[in-house]
Amino acid sequence: MLKIKNLHASIDGKKILRGINLTINTNEVHAIMGPNGGGKSTLSNILTGRDGYTITQGEIIYKNEDLLALKAEEIARRGIFLAFQYPIEISGVSNIYLLKAALNAIRKYRGLDELDAIDFLSLVRSKLNLVKMDEAFLNRGVNEGFSGGEKKRNEILQMILLEPSLAILDETDSGLDIDSLRIISDGVKTIRSSDRSIVLITHYQRLLNHIIPDFVHVLSHGRIVKSGNKELAKELEKTGYNWINGENMDMTS
Amino acid sequence: MKFSINQLSELTTPFSSIARNLNLLGQNIPWLNRLREQAFDQFKIQGLPIPNKKIEDWKYTSLWNLARQPFKHIAKEHLVTTEQSERVALLTNTYRVVIVDGIFSKELSQLHNLQEGLAIYSLSAGIHQVQQQLGKQVNINKQGLTALNTMLMNNGVVIMVSIGQEIDKPIELLVINSGQTSNIAVHLRNVIIMERHSKATFIEHYIGLTKQVSMTNVVTEVVLNDFAELDHHKLQQESIDSFHIATLAARQEAGSRWRTDNISLGARLTRNDIHSQLSGTQAKTIMNGLYLVDKNQHVDNHTHIEHLVPDTASDELYKGVLNGDSRAIFNGKIMVHKDAQRTNANQRNHNLLLSPGCEIDTKPEMEIYADDVKCGHGSTVGHLDEEQLFYLRTRGLDIIGARSLLTYAFVVDVLERIPSSSIKNTLTNVIEKLLPKGGISV
Repeated sequence: MLKIKNLHASIDGKKILRGINLTINTNEVHAIMGPNGGGKSTLSNILTGRDGYTITQGEIIYKNEDLLALKAEEIARRGIFLAFQYPIEISGVSNIYLLKAALNAIRKYRGLDELDAIDFLSLVRSKLNLVKMDEAFLNRGVNEGFSGGEKKRNEILQMILLEPSLAILDETDSGLDIDSLRIISDGVKTIRSSDRSIVLITHYQRLLNHIIPDFVHVLSHGRIVKSGNKELAKELEKTGYNWINGENMDMTS
Repeated sequence: MKFSINQLSELTTPFSSIARNLNLLGQNIPWLNRLREQAFDQFKIQGLPIPNKKIEDWKYTSLWNLARQPFKHIAKEHLVTTEQSERVALLTNTYRVVIVDGIFSKELSQLHNLQEGLAIYSLSAGIHQVQQQLGKQVNINKQGLTALNTMLMNNGVVIMVSIGQEIDKPIELLVINSGQTSNIAVHLRNVIIMERHSKATFIEHYIGLTKQVSMTNVVTEVVLNDFAELDHHKLQQESIDSFHIATLAARQEAGSRWRTDNISLGARLTRNDIHSQLSGTQAKTIMNGLYLVDKNQHVDNHTHIEHLVPDTASDELYKGVLNGDSRAIFNGKIMVHKDAQRTNANQRNHNLLLSPGCEIDTKPEMEIYADDVKCGHGSTVGHLDEEQLFYLRTRGLDIIGARSLLTYAFVVDVLERIPSSSIKNTLTNVIEKLLPKGGISV
C-alpha cells in the first residue's frame, strides 16, 4: 500500500529525515517510536502533504501513485487520514459541518453520491457511541473548548466516519487517562480490516497493549534505526532510547 | 442637466430656483423651505470634507472623485418589473416600500392591509407628520453631506408605530438603482418614529441592478421613545462603480433598544456614519457590522455612541473581510458623558485580510467623563490561519473550500447576533454567495 524509499527531507535548510525506508502492506499495524526530535512528526506531516518541506532524495509510493506530487486534500481523498497530535480548534465551523464536508469530499472522489443532511445525521449518530461522544458535540465549533481527551476522541470519530485506507495516529495516546485510552483504542479497533493499515506514532507501550502492532520501528536522527515485532516496544519501555542512540551514533560514524 | 457637487456649492442663484429646477418635494411648505435654505447656506460654507486631510473624521476617505463627478440630481422614471423587484427583495412577506432611481413606486410596493397602529408614507406624503422630528437627530452645521441631503432630499420613507404596537411583519425599504441612466444621484431621507412600548423590524436594502455609476446619499433618523424596540437591518449591495453615503442617527429614550446591523458589500465607495444618542436611562444600543470588499472597493464605517445619562448600555461588533486591493476604515467612538454613571459599553472590531494588497485602518476611540463605568474595546487584524487550513485539507476539503469555510467562520458570529431567523438565514445566504466557492451550505 505504502512504500517509502530512502526518504531525505529538510525544512528551512535543516535536515530532518536522512534516509527512511518503510513498507506498509494492507492489514498491518505499524508502531513508530523513538526519541523526541527524531523525525516522527515530520514523517507524518510529509505523508499527509504539509507544505514547507524540501525532499532532497527518495520517494513515497502510495497505491501506485507518487504521493509527493499530491496535495494534502488529494492525499486525504485517496484514503490517508492523520489523527493530529494537537487537534486544531476552529471556532465558527460546527463539528457536524466539518464531518459532512469531509465525508462528502471523499465520497465525491470515490464516485459516490454525496449524503444529504438526514442520511448523514443517522450515519454519524451510529458512530458517536463508538467513541462515547454525546450528540451535543456535533453542534459545537470544531474542537472548540474541548478537553484534551475530547479532542482525541473527535479525531477518532472523524477517522471512523471517513474510513481511511491508511490511518496515521500521531501520539493520539499522549495525555490520556486510562478510560480515554480504552475508548480511543476500541475506536481504532473498529476500523481494522483486511484492506486497511494503521500507523501508530507513540512514546508509550500502553497503547500497544490495546492495539497489538505487527511491526515496531524506532525512528531516531531521521532514520529507522531498528525494526522488530511487539517485543521491541516492551524492550524500549524497559531500557529507554539510550542504547539506540549509541547504536545510531555507531551507524553514522 | 448634470452638475457635480462642487458646482452645486458654487451656485449663487436663490435656493428656490434650484428647488424648482430639480422639482423638489414640498416647495409650498414654508418650514421645509427655510430648512433647505439653511442647509444650502451651510453646504456652501462647508462643502464636502475634501480634500482637506486635516479633518480627522475624513482622514482616510477622500470624496474628491465624488465631488467632481457630474450627477443628475433630478429623478427620472424607469421601469423595473415586479419580477425584478421581487427577485432582489430579501423577504417575501413584508410591508414593502420600493424606490426606483429616486422615485417611489406604488406598483412595486406592498402597502395594503397595514396593521393597525402602523403608518408608512413616502417622504412627500408623510413630511407634515414629522415636522417636529425631521433634522433633529442630525446636524447640518457639522455634516456637509447631511446639509447636502437636507437641501436635495426628494424621497424616502416615513414610518410611525403607535404606542404599544408590535408590528407583525418586517418593514422593508427597497432602494433600487435600475442602471438605465448613468450618474443618477438619489437623496433620500427616512424618518422612523417609534412610540412608547412599540416594537418593529426595519430593513433598508440598497441594490444596483447593473454596473453603473450612481450616487446614493441617504439620511435616516430614528426616534425610539420609552421602551420602544427596533431591529434595524441595513444591506448595501450597490453597483461596484457607485458611491454610497449614509447617515443613520437615533435618539433613544428610557428602556429603549436599537439593534442595528450594517452590511456593506457593494459600491466603489461606501461611507456610513452611525450615531446613537442614549438619552434615557436603561436604553441600549446594539451595533453589528459586516463589510466584505474586494478589488478597489473602499468602505468607511464611522460609528458614534453617546452615553448621556446613567445606566445605559452599548454592545458593538464590527467585522470585515478584505480582498484584492480593497480598503476599509473602522472608526468607533464611544463617548460616556459626565452624568452617565454605570455605563456598560463594549466595542470590538476584527478584520481578516485575504490578500497582500488590501488595507485596514481601525481606530477604536473611547472618551469617558464618568468615573463608575464598565467599558472595553478591542480590535484585531489577521490572516487565515495556516494550521486551520492544513487541518481542513487533511480532511479532504480543497484549498478554495477551506479558505471559504474559514472566511465564513470568521464572519458568522455577526450573523448569529441577528434575532430573526428568517432574516439571519437570508443574509447568511447573501454572504455565502460572495465566498470564493460560491456558497457553502451549513
